[in-house]
Amino acid sequence: MALTALAQDVEFKASAPAQVIVGKPFQLTYSVNQRAKDLRAPEFTDFDYIAGPYTSQSSSTSFVNGKRTSSFTLTYTYTLMANQEGTFTIPPATIKVDGEQYTSNGVRITVLPPDQPAPAATSNASAANQPRETTQINEGNIFIRTLVSKGKVHEQEAILLSYKLYFAGVDVAQFTNNTRLPEFKGFLKQELEVGEIQTELEHYNGRNYQTAVLYRTLLFPQRNGNITIDPAEFEAVLRIQNRAQVRSIFDDFFNSYTTATKAITAPGTTIHVDALPTGKPAGFSGGVGQFNISSTISSTDLQANEAVTLSITIQGSGNMKLLKTPAVDWPEGFEVYDPKVSNNFRNTTTGVSGTKTIEYLAIPRAGGSYTIPPILFSYYDTQADSYKTLATPEYTLQIARSATEEANAAVVNHFVQKEDIQQLGSDIRYIDVNALPALKIHKSKFTFGTLAFWLCYLIPALLAALLFIIFRKKIQENADITRVRYKKANKVAQRRLKAAELLLKADNKTAFFEEIERAAWTYLSDRLSIPTAQLNKENIAQILASKGVTDTLIEEVLHVLATAEFARYAPTSDHAMQDIYNDTTKIINQLENCKL
Amino acid sequence: MKLLFIFLTTLFADANIQYAEGNYAQAATQYEQILANLPSTDVADLPSDYAVVYYNLGNAYFKQGELAQAILAYERALRLQPSLQDAKHNLQFAQSRIIDNIQDTQSFFLSNWLQAIRNALSQRTWIILSISLFILALVGFFLFAFSQIIWLRKTAFYTSLVALIISMAACANAGSLHQRDTLRAEAIITQGIVNAKSSPDRSGTDLFTIHEGTKVEIKEVIGEWCCVHVGNNIGWMPLAHLERI
Repeated sequence: MALTALAQDVEFKASAPAQVIVGKPFQLTYSVNQRAKDLRAPEFTDFDYIAGPYTSQSSSTSFVNGKRTSSFTLTYTYTLMANQEGTFTIPPATIKVDGEQYTSNGVRITVLPPDQPAPAATSNASAANQPRETTQINEGNIFIRTLVSKGKVHEQEAILLSYKLYFAGVDVAQFTNNTRLPEFKGFLKQELEVGEIQTELEHYNGRNYQTAVLYRTLLFPQRNGNITIDPAEFEAVLRIQNRAQVRSIFDDFFNSYTTATKAITAPGTTIHVDALPTGKPAGFSGGVGQFNISSTISSTDLQANEAVTLSITIQGSGNMKLLKTPAVDWPEGFEVYDPKVSNNFRNTTTGVSGTKTIEYLAIPRAGGSYTIPPILFSYYDTQADSYKTLATPEYTLQIARSATEEANAAVVNHFVQKEDIQQLGSDIRYIDVNALPALKIHKSKFTFGTLAFWLCYLIPALLAALLFIIFRKKIQENADITRVRYKKANKVAQRRLKAAELLLKADNKTAFFEEIERAAWTYLSDRLSIPTAQLNKENIAQILASKGVTDTLIEEVLHVLATAEFARYAPTSDHAMQDIYNDTTKIINQLENCKL
Repeated sequence: MKLLFIFLTTLFADANIQYAEGNYAQAATQYEQILANLPSTDVADLPSDYAVVYYNLGNAYFKQGELAQAILAYERALRLQPSLQDAKHNLQFAQSRIIDNIQDTQSFFLSNWLQAIRNALSQRTWIILSISLFILALVGFFLFAFSQIIWLRKTAFYTSLVALIISMAACANAGSLHQRDTLRAEAIITQGIVNAKSSPDRSGTDLFTIHEGTKVEIKEVIGEWCCVHVGNNIGWMPLAHLERI
């Protein structure tokens, strides 16, 4: 720590090319910005030491707005040569500045194999009398490769496409504007900054090339299947040394290079895009990559009409731009405004990463306890190769009635607005959860057309018919009996009167009156078709009156009945017996003439 | 029988729990298992209360999005217990989701009414109603024939007449239901899309297209093919693409 604090002013750096070629010498330099001594370079075990260290110094002083700035650089240069392929690290060196020891950085060097001799045929051809400049611009010397990070991806999964220039033995001055990039149909494109073009050495196909990335872009496939990327065309301006056309030393000095343009085609490629697997969870956000969701709420304890802010943050990398805003299932009674969405994205070589923040502003309009259910966010995880669903915590809001609401309520209490039941949605009704009823299997099939079925009609019908016949017969019989009795009424009465006459002669008083009374009642019963038991002195007058009998005759009938009954128990003269006999005969004769 | 009943009851309760937890597929399998273990699934044999098993099964299928199976289960529940209001509601709800709109092309409105009345009660109920009314008619007739009181005779006569007519209508409904249950001509399309052909043969001309969940009437069966009526359309299709209610 102390060393770094002091080293604020002392910079001691080691630098060397990142890539070198076997058998080609290169320079390793240590530079320090203070006067220093006693450089202790590490042992160059992996490299052959050729020369050095050569020291050189440079210093400059400048005044800017009266302020003096001076710089000083002391440089130690070693010349080394690699003798084997691989990646090696040159350990740090140390140096002393004012008695303090400082350590440089280590240097990592990739050693590339030497160029392999070109195939015999080609080398023969080029060895023939061909001018050198033409061979310089052939396909082997300068070309552009189309590099994709993955050839087989899922839908929406980011791939990095870059066009990399390879050149060797030629000098590329610049690129013209005649660059034709493909349209990247079927992809969503997110270009990446290339920055200043820097060349690197790369060993490719047995040759060492200078390489430079010309163009980089992220591509998000929008459909599945094999998507072809068309070739891209670049036009490079090459500087060619005019060795063959040297005329004078001036030409050679001033005009030793000519420029030539060359169209270079970067080959097309095909990306195999797999569809996302089936079984997308409900509410799939469309996100592919790695994401994380979190949420915060401004307050869970508030008053009605007080705003609450719920912010949801989605963090991760993938197709961030295409994420759907997760929906929040706000409880009823909340006035919700359109969410404010702010994106903070960075483009990296693995995709777009960053955060997407969604802020909901809602105002509860009524008091009570409300629950905001968890917000579900589903995406396709490219590392786990499966769908994942994340959920935010559930929030329960305690909302007190606002003071103003209560005050208003006190005033307008009588005008509470009634609301109809709000139909929010429709669904099937819930299952029946009652226990199963006892399992009784019907023993006999009581269905249409069975014997039991028809019998159920037949038996009542037959029963009814039977009863009908019986009833009918009985009524008929009854009718017959009354008619006979009606017709024979007079005969029966006469017979009884005759018997009474005999009793009168025999002077048997009790029997006589009994016979007279019975004769009268039987006659009335038969004529009126009413059983004797239902007749008495009280109703006989009424019944006779309803049949149209004259009042005088009724009087006489009643008189006879009363006398007969009375005389049975009281002593009477023979004369009275003769009278009642005559009266009875008379009323019977008179009633016989009446139509009853 | 007792053991079986205990088994079915626990299975039913468990299936209801599975349904409540959202495991609709599991719930549906268990309801199906209950039905498979019943001694008989004949409408005439089962107590009408068992309609709830079909009803719950229908719900479990509906929640899985299997519209045809859900409609089939609701229809069967209503066969068993035509007064099951929840099943009626859910059947209508499910039918509102199917693609085909056959209801409009259905024939005369009066026949629809009559069919609705017929389906409102079970066959057994119709029979009991018919016999009860028949006996009422007989009693009324007796009162009419033998009563001495004029108003009673009049009332008895008209009551008897009305009872007899309704009894006959109820009997006709019972007969119609019996025919429906024995023929089992009504079926539900279980295949997503079916093309009806002009002949019972794969090479037949395509006549019309119907979709999953539509109710059709099977008129004739030849081998693997059946002739179906749907609204005013008639066509042939493989039996495997539909299931009888």
